[in-house]
Amino acid sequence: MERPLGLAVLILLGCFYLVALFADFISPYTPPDQSLQKTYHPPTALFWENGRLHVQRYELADPDDMVYRKIEGEGAPVRFFARGHDYRLMGLIPTDRHLFLVDEPDRIYLLGSDETGRDNFSRLLYGARISLSIGLVGIAIIMVFGFLAGGLAGYFGGIWDNLTMRFIELVMAVPGLYLLLVLRGTFPDELSPGQTFFLIVIILSFLAWGGTARIIRGMTLSLRNRQFVMAAEVLGQSPLKIVGKHILPNVFSYLVVAASLSIPAFILGEAALSFLGLGIQEPSASWGLMLSQAQDMKVFMLNFWWLLLPGAAIFVTVIAFNVLGDVFRDIVDPKQKFLNR
Amino acid sequence: MKTVIARRLIALIPMLLGITFMATMLMHLAPGDFLDQVRMQRDADPEYIERLEREFGLDNPWYVQYFLWLKNVVPWDLRSDFGYSFHYKVDVWELLGQRLPATILLSVTSLAFAWVIAIPLGVLAAIYKDSIFDRISSILAYAALSIPEFFLALLALFFAARTGLFPLGGFTSTEFEFMSPVRRFFDVAHHLILPTIVVGIGSIASIMRIMRANFIDNIRSEYVTTARAKGVPEGIVMFRHVFRNAINPLITAAGFAFSSIVSGALMVEIVMNYPGIGHMIFHAILQQDQFVVLGALVMSSTMLILGNLLADIALAWNDPRIRYD
Amino acid sequence: MGIKHWAYRYQAGGIALLVLLGGCSAEIESVREEAPVPEDIERVARDPGRQGDIFTGTSAGTPATFNPLVAEDATSTEAIARLLDGLTRFDPVKEEVVPGLAKSWDVSEDSKTFTFHLRRGVRWSDGEPFTADDVVFTFKAIYDERYPNRKQMEFRAGGEPFEVEKIDDHTVRFTTAEIFAPFLLYIGTEILPRHKLIDAFADGTLMRQWTISTASRTPEQIVGTGPFRIRSFRPAQRMIYEPNPHYWRADREDARLPYVDFFIERFVQDQNASMVAFASGQSDHQGITPDQAGWIRRNAERHDYTVHDRGPSTSTSFIWFNQNPGTNENGTPFVEPHKLEWFTNQTFRQAVSYGIDRQGLIDGVIFGRGEPLWSSVSPANTQWYNPDVRTYPYDPEKALALLEEVGFRKENGRLYDEHGNRVTFSLITNEDNRLRANMATVFMENMKDLGIEVRLRLIDFSNFVNRISESFNYEAGLLGFTGGRDPHGGTSIYSSGGRLHVWHPNQPEPATEWEARIDELMQKQLRTLDEEERREYFNEVQSIMSEQLPLIYLITPNIHEGLRNRWRNIDPPDMGTLIWNLDEIWAEQRLLP
Repeated sequence: MERPLGLAVLILLGCFYLVALFADFISPYTPPDQSLQKTYHPPTALFWENGRLHVQRYELADPDDMVYRKIEGEGAPVRFFARGHDYRLMGLIPTDRHLFLVDEPDRIYLLGSDETGRDNFSRLLYGARISLSIGLVGIAIIMVFGFLAGGLAGYFGGIWDNLTMRFIELVMAVPGLYLLLVLRGTFPDELSPGQTFFLIVIILSFLAWGGTARIIRGMTLSLRNRQFVMAAEVLGQSPLKIVGKHILPNVFSYLVVAASLSIPAFILGEAALSFLGLGIQEPSASWGLMLSQAQDMKVFMLNFWWLLLPGAAIFVTVIAFNVLGDVFRDIVDPKQKFLNR
Repeated sequence: MKTVIARRLIALIPMLLGITFMATMLMHLAPGDFLDQVRMQRDADPEYIERLEREFGLDNPWYVQYFLWLKNVVPWDLRSDFGYSFHYKVDVWELLGQRLPATILLSVTSLAFAWVIAIPLGVLAAIYKDSIFDRISSILAYAALSIPEFFLALLALFFAARTGLFPLGGFTSTEFEFMSPVRRFFDVAHHLILPTIVVGIGSIASIMRIMRANFIDNIRSEYVTTARAKGVPEGIVMFRHVFRNAINPLITAAGFAFSSIVSGALMVEIVMNYPGIGHMIFHAILQQDQFVVLGALVMSSTMLILGNLLADIALAWNDPRIRYD
Repeated sequence: MGIKHWAYRYQAGGIALLVLLGGCSAEIESVREEAPVPEDIERVARDPGRQGDIFTGTSAGTPATFNPLVAEDATSTEAIARLLDGLTRFDPVKEEVVPGLAKSWDVSEDSKTFTFHLRRGVRWSDGEPFTADDVVFTFKAIYDERYPNRKQMEFRAGGEPFEVEKIDDHTVRFTTAEIFAPFLLYIGTEILPRHKLIDAFADGTLMRQWTISTASRTPEQIVGTGPFRIRSFRPAQRMIYEPNPHYWRADREDARLPYVDFFIERFVQDQNASMVAFASGQSDHQGITPDQAGWIRRNAERHDYTVHDRGPSTSTSFIWFNQNPGTNENGTPFVEPHKLEWFTNQTFRQAVSYGIDRQGLIDGVIFGRGEPLWSSVSPANTQWYNPDVRTYPYDPEKALALLEEVGFRKENGRLYDEHGNRVTFSLITNEDNRLRANMATVFMENMKDLGIEVRLRLIDFSNFVNRISESFNYEAGLLGFTGGRDPHGGTSIYSSGGRLHVWHPNQPEPATEWEARIDELMQKQLRTLDEEERREYFNEVQSIMSEQLPLIYLITPNIHEGLRNRWRNIDPPDMGTLIWNLDEIWAEQRLLP
């Protein structure tokens, strides 16, 4: 792969994260906001009239199959930077301005609505917050723990090394599903579904750092016999300092690449957990939850195609992270020594 | 070699003890127990629930439950009893054994499918590095990797429904009982095609990527240059030398795949109604059918260790330079 | 008599592929065993049909056991009901108890002694005669302390087990300590074959008999008096039933029932797969959720089936508030005192009920295919449903007015109580039920309109059960029960001492007057055999429940059933499945000769 592709992917992911950051400003509705008269609504058409953008009005033509028909010539003006529900911009500035809105009872569904008439577009944006940050949180934990455990085990060697490795084997064999069920039972009600879910990710990451630790250990084992490490030892530097100052720079590139290649696993893992009912819960949204709710024959048979968009979002993001990881790998490790996972 | 095997197998014992102990503790910590389903039935008498609790030994503290289980498992009198399923009232091994063949079959076919597709693709992509073929195959591999498995399974089901080419999930046809053995074989094969593809497709991308990278790595190495300089034909260089070296890491990966047999196809089993073991264990976990869970854990941990061991043996066989001491 | 069948054909492409693999459609051959028809057999009144053909149904679960003493789940119970019969049966069309293995019975003057006259000449599916000894054995097994089973407790009147006495080989007498209203219904419990199970009963392994392993390895060991016996069983795949050659029912022309040669039940856990299979003509019967009914109807003509709207389901769903005034072991109250004050306020509960948009939920989420629910009994249970209970149609303004009446006030879109506390509570329910999650989110949004903040927590089932029945650490819950037929089955919900009296369970003494009244009514209805009288008492129970609203009922979806049009003798009951009389139905046109 060449660098321009890497740049393009980086920009794409940047846009995704930016959109997620400003989700409450861009989206017209909150994720739980329902409209029971407009369930399974198709994406609303827009038209231009009297110098203003209008959103097409629809009527329910067939309640048996939820088929909506345009009411010709009727629409509601789209208002930009209009006042809607309250929120805090970037979590700080309290405001109620939204990029675009229409007056109730009309609704603007850029990407259709779901089974309780919630705006698919808004839910996708809010869902991006969960789906895009999960990988980052998980990866951070895995990297920090993997590096510390692997680096120190490799540096000290001997009995410490042996103990750490056995411990890792045990941790990797812990039934994660069980642990999740147990710990979920102890989460207090005060936590929001989002917080609960981050706790779940943290738990899963704690179970998954073993693989990284093993590889770091292997790399450290070969690094510790190099001259610069021995020199540092002779100078009397503490082990923690040696690992941080001399080993880390040498494995850093590996960590970066491994991180970008592992994020997709977290995004897909989130979807899988949601499918099993162990992921984020209603009324919050995540791409995985939305996709697992679209896991339904009627979505195909009644052609509610817009409900499959979270799948497309997952698809694009996962590809982007994979490409990015490969590009990073080409940059830091042209010989592809360690990264043939 | 023999001592290595013996040592690994002995190391299995403390691990099994640790894991089963931990699992019993976790089950105790998790709210509720197996009888919750009964408790939520409107006509279940409280005394009946108490009697069941005694029957299942759920009135003991969890560590007592664990040691009672362990006492039965350890073959004092050459008989090892792993307990029975609360839900099915059937011996744990018998229950697991009923579902295991279908699961192993699917693992084997999907692994074979992935290898057969991915290895030639990886090799070709390496030989023709940076060509159009390389690009396209890697894009396809990325794409295959990026669809959640459960959703891919639904797409497969939808495809089967629309075209009528494949059965709508399951393992055998309704008429299976009335078929001749040959027909039965083809019937199972017919049912296996879609699940195999859905399970296998995810690993194609990663196997292909590893293969490509290793192959490139080896092409650049000195022995290849030497061999070429000696005038060894290109085909022999590639396949006798490079290929053999490049496939090593994949053997290790296959060892890991062995360990995931038990849970690997859970989503596909659910969506495509495949009568595998993953689904049953998942239910046992949700229901807290504890002896089934413990049995399944013993089985999967043993498979993990065995898989790694087999991979190491295969590695030594493929590459005589590798020695274990 | 040998009858040949052709199995369902594969879809067009499938045939091409199979031809490619060197085969054609499978041939199913049935050799019906014929046994002489005894004198005392029941001859059904319906017009005679034709023997033969295959009925393919789908079940969402796999049976866990074939042992009636062990079975807890509906799938197992349904399977067992096809294999074993009882002394009486319940006819869902007539809505009354009709003769089963007993051809008649006498009731004593005091309504406590029942003498059953068994059919003569009835045999078990392995040919052994069925006698009074089997009946006595069955009840001995049920009441045996070594074998804890649900009937052990259920089959008691005034705490005492029924007394069972063999008069002669074909007469059995039962005596109950007190009048037990649902006796005839309960006595329809499956009779077990003494000759097959007596050894296991003696050596203590009765509960480990007739497992799924027995069914898959030695199905002939599972012996019954029901319409079918097991031909083969494959866990998580399918089960094939074949007619019981000694079944005790025949048609007017003395042709033995069931008419079908095979009943194949496929176990398909994922509903997407089973719905598509039905919609492409691969099965004869399918339960359909209301949201899927629309697209499945589209294929009806092509595959010659009908999607029947069977009206409201028997399952109920409700929201309730934790009214338990107790404290946990640390002395902290289960519910904060100011919240307990709201929850125990009848007007508060009624206001909440007025605030729920049930019709919107039905129209939007389940495509209009459902009914709002106002009573503890679903309207599907026509026998016991009280149509005159109080209703609470969606009216947010009325809800607010009611709230203001009892001291609440709404400011800036938020509701406060008279002490200035913001009205907010958390609602728990289990996560694995999609419709329930939708009810919960709709409820949450509806409450937001009243200014009440609801925090929704979807948790796993075990945790849910634990919190509502052990730790009582919750504020409000959402739950549903599948409806039983007889009011007595709901005793643990209605009675103040009941385990499932969820809003305040296991009360030593009724906490309120109306709960005391319900206790009294539930006792009264149990102590009479007169159905009219029982209905009167039970109607009052429903009225009190709807007035007091300890449980705020939500909606019930309409049951839809898909059935191939070729089946005859279909007689839809008000409540329950279309194919309740599987032994009587037969196919007009065959799939293939």
